[in-house]
Amino acid sequence: MDVRQRAVGWSIWLAAVLGVSITVSAGIGPVSIHPLAVVKVLLNALSVPTGIELTGSSIGNALQLPAPELRWQSPFSYTVDTTYETIVMRVRLPRILLAAVVGFALAAAGTVMQGFFRNPMADPSIIGVSSGAAAGAVAFLVVPVAIPFGLGLQGAAFIGALLAAFGVYAIATEGGRTPIATLLLAGVAIQAFLGAVIAFLQLHSGDGLRQVVHWLMGHLGNAGWDDVTVTLLTVPLLFGILLAYARDLNVLLLGEEAAHGLGVEVERTKRILLAVSAVLTAAAVAVSGVIGFVGLIVPHMVRLVVGPDHRVLLPAAALAGASFLVLTDTVARAGATEIPVGIVTAALGAPFFLYLLRSREVHEL
Amino acid sequence: MSDPVLSVDHLSVDLGGSEILSDVSLTADGGDLVGLVGPNGAGKTTLLRAIRGSLQPTQGRVTVDGNDVSALSARKTGQLVATVPQETRLSFSFSVEEAVAMGRNPHIGRFGTADDEDRQRVDEALDDASLSAFAGRPVTELSGGERQRVLLARAFAQDTPLLLLDEPTANLDINHAINTLDLVRSVVDEGRAAVAAIHDLNLAARYCDRLVLLAGGSVLEAGVPASVLTTETLEAAFDARAVVSHDATTDSPQVTALSERQSADDI
Repeated sequence: MDVRQRAVGWSIWLAAVLGVSITVSAGIGPVSIHPLAVVKVLLNALSVPTGIELTGSSIGNALQLPAPELRWQSPFSYTVDTTYETIVMRVRLPRILLAAVVGFALAAAGTVMQGFFRNPMADPSIIGVSSGAAAGAVAFLVVPVAIPFGLGLQGAAFIGALLAAFGVYAIATEGGRTPIATLLLAGVAIQAFLGAVIAFLQLHSGDGLRQVVHWLMGHLGNAGWDDVTVTLLTVPLLFGILLAYARDLNVLLLGEEAAHGLGVEVERTKRILLAVSAVLTAAAVAVSGVIGFVGLIVPHMVRLVVGPDHRVLLPAAALAGASFLVLTDTVARAGATEIPVGIVTAALGAPFFLYLLRSREVHEL
Repeated sequence: MSDPVLSVDHLSVDLGGSEILSDVSLTADGGDLVGLVGPNGAGKTTLLRAIRGSLQPTQGRVTVDGNDVSALSARKTGQLVATVPQETRLSFSFSVEEAVAMGRNPHIGRFGTADDEDRQRVDEALDDASLSAFAGRPVTELSGGERQRVLLARAFAQDTPLLLLDEPTANLDINHAINTLDLVRSVVDEGRAAVAAIHDLNLAARYCDRLVLLAGGSVLEAGVPASVLTTETLEAAFDARAVVSHDATTDSPQVTALSERQSADDI
């Protein structure tokens, strides 16, 4: 079958799974809501553009330009309990959508990093992004300095993530070339160093320790529509860039010299893949803290099912990552006391990963 | 007369401060199969890497179809030069067809997908390399000879005027080696130019139109096989004593190396 058909087929299927996961998840919580009611709430919230309206008159005033404006309309108006509407729209949906976007971003970045490093143990944090984000966030929580430009915790995490990734890249680059092995080792070293910084800050965090530990474990609990909007706007754009390089990523799997011979500008492609993956991971980690295993195991699971071709694998893994994090976060918040989602992903992910390791020959990508 | 497909002009290459190639010149035209022979470390692989633009020369230049390869983009190079590597990472479970289709990469734009011509070239390459029956098999499940044919098919699908082969028969048994070179010979006869580094002097003599004997980074002798493979040149290049006879079966020179204890008179 044609690659594009396979990519579209898998994407539609996994998007449907994601839709079901979101609907089911929105019904689960202290107040249980029937999935049908959830669907009605979601449909009510839907508004579609029905046409373009020209506001402002162009007659009699030549300078005034007519401004086109989309006319919106909500096509559905089911009667639903307003309490349900508030719970789903205000409380649960922002968090669920954030989980979806973060899972999507981490799985996509993880897929790219595993292909890029030709290493099955690679994950989105391999070039120091997560450690950098953690160091930035912990420093923000512990060190009593005002951060300029009104940057909050998430801004500090985002900047820390990008600084760490750029540092690793700069250290590993010499004469315009960035050997993958050097990059990998520089990433490990920077992660170890930042681990020391984080541990030191934790020791001196005093009353803030609880907050620090909570952040480090990964969480989606404080999600608001602002976080969702920001990530929903950035993540698809970055993902689009990665998708445009999916074929080059396939060819890079053959080794850099072979890839050059097959028409890939190796160093430029590596820079783009690294930079986009780093920003994608940073955007996810900044809003959610360090959530492990999504970017590591989801790409492996999906690769076993759809094969190694990144044109199919990348969208499939990203969508599967979105569903995975929506479902694990549902588990995380469903109990009597909420557990950080990072604990759930690792607790469920690690045994599954070990199972894969034993049952399949995962010696190669 | 138009420019040859490949022209290597007084090429010198340094690697890590030492000169690996020194003042090497050769040409190959459509229909030519040029063999690079010489001892280990003579610079055969380095010459192939320089020809495909992976290494920058310190002096001289390489042109393919009139284009200086050191100034070309990877994409343009990939449209002109295809390489069959000695070994490659084919350990990922791509299917044979997917692996061969990667040869079309230089011809497809960033946002494009394979069109009918791409698919046709892949089908032809699979057919030429007798891989059509394997198209759906994962490359990880193939034997060494079959994997070599996948690499050949990938290079054929790339549809370039110049084909480079780095020891294409090094890891193959005699039957697969012959089949591989037959295959190369047939695509060259259709009009491509090819340069192949070949260890086995007898295979090189049998299949190549011309040989270039490299030793210590320089061309020691170049020309038709019978003029390149002589007792004197082999002594100079390999520091080995050898007898060159004529093999009537293949109608080509036959090199027999002698051990220290033998002399040519004993045979």
